[in-house]
Parts: sequence; structure tokens; C-alpha cells
Amino acid sequence: MTETKKEDKAYRQLESNSLLQQIMFQYMLEGQQASEEKRLAWVTSGFPVEIPVAMGVGVSYPEQYGAVVGSQKVGPEVCGYAEEIGYSQELCSYARASIGSVEKPNASPMDGLPVPQALLACNNICGTVLRWYDAVSEQTGAPVFLLDTPPIEGEQPEHHKEYVRKGIDRLVDFLGTTFHTTLTEKRMREVADLSSRAIKLYNQSLAACKNRPSPLNCADRFLTMAPVVSMRGTDIIIDFYQTLLDEVNSRVKEGIGAIRDEKIRLLWDNIPPWHSIFRFFNGLAKRGVVFPADTYTHAWSGAIETDDLYGSVVSIYSNSYLNKGLEAKIDKMCQLIEDYDLDGFIMFSVRSCKRYSLGQLVSKEIVSERTGVPGVVIEGDMVDSRLYNEAQIQTRVDALLEMFL
Amino acid sequence: MKHGIGIDIGSTTAKGVLVDSTSKTLASYIMPTGSSGSQAVERIMEELRVSSKMELKGIPIISTGYGRTQVEDAEQSVTEITCHSVGVHSLHPEMRLLIDVGGQDSKVIRIGPEGRPVNFELNDKCSAGTGRFLEVMAGVLGISISELGPLALTSKTPATISSTCTVFAESEVICHIGAGKDPSDIAAGLHASMATKIASLARRVGIVRPICLTGGVALNPAFKHHLSKQLGAELWVPENPQFTGALGAAVIAIRGLNK
Repeated sequence: MTETKKEDKAYRQLESNSLLQQIMFQYMLEGQQASEEKRLAWVTSGFPVEIPVAMGVGVSYPEQYGAVVGSQKVGPEVCGYAEEIGYSQELCSYARASIGSVEKPNASPMDGLPVPQALLACNNICGTVLRWYDAVSEQTGAPVFLLDTPPIEGEQPEHHKEYVRKGIDRLVDFLGTTFHTTLTEKRMREVADLSSRAIKLYNQSLAACKNRPSPLNCADRFLTMAPVVSMRGTDIIIDFYQTLLDEVNSRVKEGIGAIRDEKIRLLWDNIPPWHSIFRFFNGLAKRGVVFPADTYTHAWSGAIETDDLYGSVVSIYSNSYLNKGLEAKIDKMCQLIEDYDLDGFIMFSVRSCKRYSLGQLVSKEIVSERTGVPGVVIEGDMVDSRLYNEAQIQTRVDALLEMFL
Repeated sequence: MKHGIGIDIGSTTAKGVLVDSTSKTLASYIMPTGSSGSQAVERIMEELRVSSKMELKGIPIISTGYGRTQVEDAEQSVTEITCHSVGVHSLHPEMRLLIDVGGQDSKVIRIGPEGRPVNFELNDKCSAGTGRFLEVMAGVLGISISELGPLALTSKTPATISSTCTVFAESEVICHIGAGKDPSDIAAGLHASMATKIASLARRVGIVRPICLTGGVALNPAFKHHLSKQLGAELWVPENPQFTGALGAAVIAIRGLNK
């Protein structure tokens, strides 16, 4: 009976998810331990985390915590704690979730993130991170380090590389002073190698979605990206990404898709609505809609090459496409549509994330023109469900799907 | 002869249309949606039956509009974007751009040669640029919504309403009233302000002629005048601009969605 019920589901859950849960739990414990040992740093998602990891500094990700707050459907409450002390509803909901949870940890999921001893921000994803970490610094007393990566248009000039490289040197000094630790070339190479291996394994799973049917759907990738975001450079995640890749390859070999009856293949742009992630993607799965690619999980695709370690770090972390012109993101979307043979695209305009959502209306027109496939922009927020109107989103998505009939 | 019924449960009004296989309207009915979509459906079906003198049982129904899922007897629900496009195409196949301004949203749809939408934009998070905006402003001026358009057309020197937000525009209107501005000039300014917002939405989709204007607001002559002026294009308004969504649904009920 249970088997029959399982078979009826439009969406096939990954078996690797149980391993994912285990390592994410371990990650949480390690964060707590690092905090107790006074060697925990909070980092932004685009921070060259390999460096603190190589220096024995534990890391926690407030953005990932925001995703947890969203998934647990308590975004309005936890963001509300930040609003109560004066922060605007217009501020990024990841920022509000973290500021709110520091304000009221006992009323927040997992009692908030473990207390940090340093805050490491890289502005390659947006400029808000600096002000946000400044605010958390006021709350916690932890010092902020900013790795400044000015935006790039086209190729990264030499003077830009030198500037970011100096920032990396300052980071090593900052961590050395703050945590009384040093960086050795040997350890950095080990960590960079582990980071590259995990990223390469993950990239192979992403690339396997070019197959029909696609072995992974959007929610699968958003969940399985967690370790590559938060635990890059540790050996514990290599096993997980190998297990995931094995499962993905086995699905491809046997012609098993992430959803039962794949009919329409779409691209997803932006962070997902964490509060409605399963409802949204599984609801569409029932109608034969799969998302073999998205712009978000493909953002963690740069592997540090070990022949020019720091040059590679500078290049990867300066060239995240949110740090480049709109053209780079448009090119990426067109490329994904072509490579993954997609029928259309959905762009999620995230009220919180101005940096990611900026220019979506223009991009939509250009991407449609270049690729010849239709797209739609839907509006909402990743954490704050107050800004998510399901009926309006449904109408827009339905109208897009009707174009394929 | 085949027949089809389209039911459009909109945010403000509910509409029903019965057509034959030549897409000719045999009966139609419009009423306020009210608090119960299902009661509106019942009433619409009864009115269509009486007016057409036909037994409607067995005639396929397609539902559309924000209340489309409330139509229990519908074979399928189709978005108002597709239905409006198909409806306008059945009336005037040459139309390539459709601007629909309803009670609580406005949409611009690029119509493909087969009558299906190929691109669209919606303004559905804000009441500015919708019929609701004009309703609120008519209330502030102390006149009915049907008087607002004709009053605006008598203006010689339209007032400037710079806010596109309904709440802020209301404050501006009150200031103009306080300053002794003629109500016709205020009304004209309001229509011009709303036309600016809709014209901008239309430009996002791309101006392709000929252009059709539908929805309840299409019945307002001042809005049509100002929008036409801003777009620099003639606007064709069907005889019953509120029914194109239901008409499209009825046509789809006969032909199916993929034809």
C-alpha cells in the first residue's frame, strides 16, 4: 500500500537526502563547537571560505539560516523581530532573519546561529551584506572583515586582480590576529583540493540534468547545494557528492526522471521561495513541468585550480555573475536554455534581493528574443511569505504553460 | 451545431457567454462577483439558459478569471490571459496587442497570429492602473464611476496628478479640491495619470498595432482618449469589452486549447 502511494507521487525523492540530513546536522554541531571554542566566523555565501577553513576557523552562513527560517515558515515572525527594532520591511529578508534571530534567539529556529567571533563579508553578491554584518557586529560585538570585490564589466583587469589579492592578504592577517592562527601553503592546497573535488562532483550532477528525463528537479538542487555552499573545503562532503552523483547517474542510466511524467522543461532564475519550495515545484511536477537548470545553483561552479591557488581564488570570487554586468547573467541564462534544451523560463523577482532581481524585466525580453522561448516574471520573496501572493503567481505560471499547449 | 460556454469570475464582476461553433454570441450575462463565486456561476447559468432558451446540460464549460477554480462544472480552467487573447482574436483576428484594464488588475498581451498569447505583462500587485483606482477617485470627487469619464472629457486644462499610487493620488486630489480646481480638470488629470501607467506596462511588452482595449475600464471614454494619446495609436474597443475573457473561454470550450 505504501509502495503504491509512493509510486503515485509526481516527484521522486532522492535517496541521498538521508546522508544530506546527517552531514547538515554534523555541520550544525561543528558550528556550535567552534563557537564554544571561540573560533566561529559568520560568512556570506560568496566568501572565499577555503581560507578560514584552512586556518581552522569554523564557519556558519546566515543566508543559509535565512533559508531555514523560510522553510520552517516563520519568516514573518523572525523578520518581524528585526522590524520591531526599526529595520525596514524593504531590507533583505536574509538580513532581517539573521538580525531578528540574534535579537530573539530563543524565539527563532534552532535558537539562532551559534554566536560568532568574527563576521566575514564579501560584497561580490550585493552591497547589503556589509551593512547587515555591521548591524550584527553591533548586536554581537564580533568584528567585521570586508573582502571588497568591486563589480566587473567584461574581463577582470589586472589592477582589479591585484586589489582583490591584497584583500585576501588582509583577510589572512585579520584571521591570524583575531583567531591566533596561521595559514600554511600545504593546508591551503589540501582545502582547495577538497573544495574543487566537491564542486566538480556537484557540477557533474548538475550537468546530468541535460538528459531527458532530467534526473534532478529544482528543489533537489536547492537542497543538495547546501554542503557545497556551507562546507566547501571539508572532506565530509566529498562522500555525499559522490553518493549523489552515483544516484543521478543511475537515474540517467535507467531513464528515471526527477518527476514522473516530464513534459515541459523550464529554467528557474533566482533564489527559490523557501517557504513554498515543495508546494511550488511539486505542484508543477504534477503537471509534467521539470526544471533541469537554474541560475542559482550554477553560481557555485568555480573550482579553485591548485597551480595558481590565490590567483584562482581571486578570479572565482571576483567573477560571480552577480558581480558582473547584466549581460553576463543574460548570457548565462541563454546558455543554460540552449545546453539543457529548455522550453521556457520563470524568473522569480525577489523583493528582498534587489541585486539578483535587478534588470529581470529587461533580461526577460532579451533572453526570449535570443533563445526564442517564452518566459514569465513572478513576484514574491524567498523568506518573507507576506510578499508572496499564490493566486497571482498561479495565473502567470498557468498562462506561460498554456503557451506550450 | 456545437456550443460552448465561457465563465469569467473576475475580481469585480462575473461574466458568462454562450457561443455557437461560428463563435457567435447567443447569450451573455454580467453581474457583480459578490462574496460567492459559486452562487454567481449558478445565476449566470440560469440567465444564459433563459436568454438562449436552450438546454445547457452537456454543453462544455471553460472557466477563467481569478475565481476560475470555483466553477465546479467546468471541463477545464484556463487563465484570463489566454482567454482574452482568444476572445479578441475571434472578434477581430487582426489585433496584435491587447490592453485589458479590469477591476483589480491590468494586463497587456501580445497576440500571436493564431490568437494565442506570445508575451504578456500584468500589473496585479497595486491598484493604481486598475478600475479600482478610478472608483476610489470618483468617490473622492463625490460622483459615480459612470460620470467620471464624461466629466473628464469636458476639461480644458487637466490638473497634474503626479502620483501613480492610489493612496497618494487621493491626497493630491484632495489638495486640488482644496485649491478650488475644477472637478473636470482633476478628473482629466486622473485619467492621464492612469494612462501613463498603463502605457508604460504596454511598452514593456512592445507596442504592436493594431491595438485593442478591453475590460470594464474600456467603457470609460476619457481613459481611452488619454491612453490612445499616450501610445500615439488608435484603440479598438469591442462592443462588449467586459466579455472578451468569457468569450475566449467559450470559444476554447468548443475548439479546445491547442487549436
